[in-house]
Amino acid sequence: MDPAYTPQAEKELLESLKAAIVEIDADRAKEAAQKIIAAGIDPRKAINYSIKKAADTVGQKFDCGDLFLAHLVMVGDLMDEVSAILEKNIPSDQLVKKRVIVIATVQGDVHSVGKNLVAVVLRAGGFEVHDMGVDVASSLIIQKAREVKADMIALSSLLTTTMPYQKEVIDDLASMGLRGRFRIMIGGGPVTREYAVKIGADGYGKDAFEAAEEAKKLLA
Amino acid sequence: MISLLDIAERTHTGEKVDDKTWDMGLFQTISELVKRYDIKFPGDHTFINTDDSLVERAFAAGLECLERLGIFCLPTKRRVRLNRDEILTAIRDAPREILMGEGRDQRVWKQRKIEGKERLNVCPGLHTPYTEELAPLVVKNFAQIPRADFIEGFNFTKVDGREIIGPPLEVYASRRQLGWMREGVRKAGRPGLAVVYYPINTRAEDLICVMDPDYGLRRTDGILLSLLPDLKMEEDMLSAAIVYEEYGSFKLSGSFALAGGFCGGVEGAIVEGIAKPLAAMIAYRDTIHYTGVEHIHMLNARQILLPGVNWARSVVNQALNRFTHTNCMRWIIPTSGPGTELNLLEIAMQSLEAPINGMNLYAPRHCRTTVNHGQTPLEAEWMIEVSDAVIDEGIDRQGGNELLRRIAQRLEGKKPAQGYDLTDCYDLIYHKPRPEYERIYFQVKKQLNEIGLKLS
Repeated sequence: MDPAYTPQAEKELLESLKAAIVEIDADRAKEAAQKIIAAGIDPRKAINYSIKKAADTVGQKFDCGDLFLAHLVMVGDLMDEVSAILEKNIPSDQLVKKRVIVIATVQGDVHSVGKNLVAVVLRAGGFEVHDMGVDVASSLIIQKAREVKADMIALSSLLTTTMPYQKEVIDDLASMGLRGRFRIMIGGGPVTREYAVKIGADGYGKDAFEAAEEAKKLLA
Repeated sequence: MISLLDIAERTHTGEKVDDKTWDMGLFQTISELVKRYDIKFPGDHTFINTDDSLVERAFAAGLECLERLGIFCLPTKRRVRLNRDEILTAIRDAPREILMGEGRDQRVWKQRKIEGKERLNVCPGLHTPYTEELAPLVVKNFAQIPRADFIEGFNFTKVDGREIIGPPLEVYASRRQLGWMREGVRKAGRPGLAVVYYPINTRAEDLICVMDPDYGLRRTDGILLSLLPDLKMEEDMLSAAIVYEEYGSFKLSGSFALAGGFCGGVEGAIVEGIAKPLAAMIAYRDTIHYTGVEHIHMLNARQILLPGVNWARSVVNQALNRFTHTNCMRWIIPTSGPGTELNLLEIAMQSLEAPINGMNLYAPRHCRTTVNHGQTPLEAEWMIEVSDAVIDEGIDRQGGNELLRRIAQRLEGKKPAQGYDLTDCYDLIYHKPRPEYERIYFQVKKQLNEIGLKLS
């Protein structure tokens, strides 16, 4: 680090990045990221502190109704942009790879609100999230998971009659000898933890926040 | 009114938009409209809107929202544009009354007035998943409620013991649902009571297969064809709408907006909440809607109450009542499960709002309903009892605000209660609550009397 920067000055820079992300001020956030790099501050500190704390703060604000889904999308986009700036200054062998999650609403189901919420909260929580949208066949989900080397597959279902497609993904993975490669988490209106256990899923999220905590536990 | 075939064409010729662009565009447009039309929550103790000029501005914002955005067709990823004339014509041509049912069970479902003096129309249930063993008895119990004007179907996971997976079994299950509905209303002594098909899935074949005057959906029955949140439509629903227009059944839509989602906060939800039933009417010819505003955190049972939600719901319904013929229903969705004091208090709050805001009553049901765990007939009878008392007492918007504030005080700081399965708290054979639930019911009734709502 530039010896001109005291610990206090470092803290202020890290806080300014965090604040800019929380306020969804892209210009200020990118500028703060550049300043952190120019100051010679370890960019991993910015990732582990500023971005992570910003995500926590934004999550709390969403939970109490101060921020909405679109804000989470914007924060997620901004976090990706800032991370890209910071990661350019981290040697590639020291880059901590984000855990990867593929998320989809299962075949036959076009409901997306819950899935969208989980996707943005997971992204804000530091995961790399590939959102496949709605009405996605098991084969396509598995194909995507293999392609992006996912760590977890998250499946949403809002209709009782589409819940069996969550089981289908698990069964298809098993028949392909791939079950052990991916953690499976399920959720959605009529879905319960008991059902998750019954079909052999690894985890269940009652809502977006529980899903994020569950993902962190499963991928720790 | 613009033809459904025009809508169908536009789902294939309209401007291409990807999902993210649509979602963020909706947020940006609605945020701008909220600011420009000065739609602002006045504060914590306002549950029912009393600002009529706000209602005018909100309606104007809702109209402009639909005109600027159109409707997003999900499968084709195209924007279905509507011009102002088309929207206004649809508003003018929409019916105020819907005839449903047959014989002595024929009913007229009417648009209500704000602070109206007439008893409300009622759908007591179901819109909740049940096992097939319980199905006919559940339907019978709800259909036995004398004030039921129509009754809605339900979802289930198995039919004839088989898991329902894939279109052929979905089609079979859909027809069984209607079979159970028809059997249940006959057993209740109400063979002509209108039933509304609750889609097992939203594929066209699942929606259309139930048309069967002898054993399934009659022309005097209805079907739920809902627009999705964020002004999104489905092609299969449109296909069904085209067929049902000829068949004659009436159509319903879930037309509330979801605060916390892409429409923004409660103010943004007002704008979408007004635009959405108009869009549903145009896209699917829906004539009855459950309207208003819900919040993502309440539907996820994270919070019982959130500031502004009741007020926003009130603004939406007042706007729709004043400026359109939209037939609004209050879908009563407590965050607490059945068999609990909190559930009955929440239902009381939501039922109290309904007649004051000009809404009929619909299917009280736990927000996190699971199989056999969502509702009992007691909650339906309770919602009728409360709303009747409001009408009998002549409670107006000011009075309603005060009563709601007092009920809200009893809910503040509490977390939603899980509740019980239907058969744990209700006896379907003798059509009555189990003793413990009945005790809770009388307790809550006493609380409401103490608060100032006179219940017999």
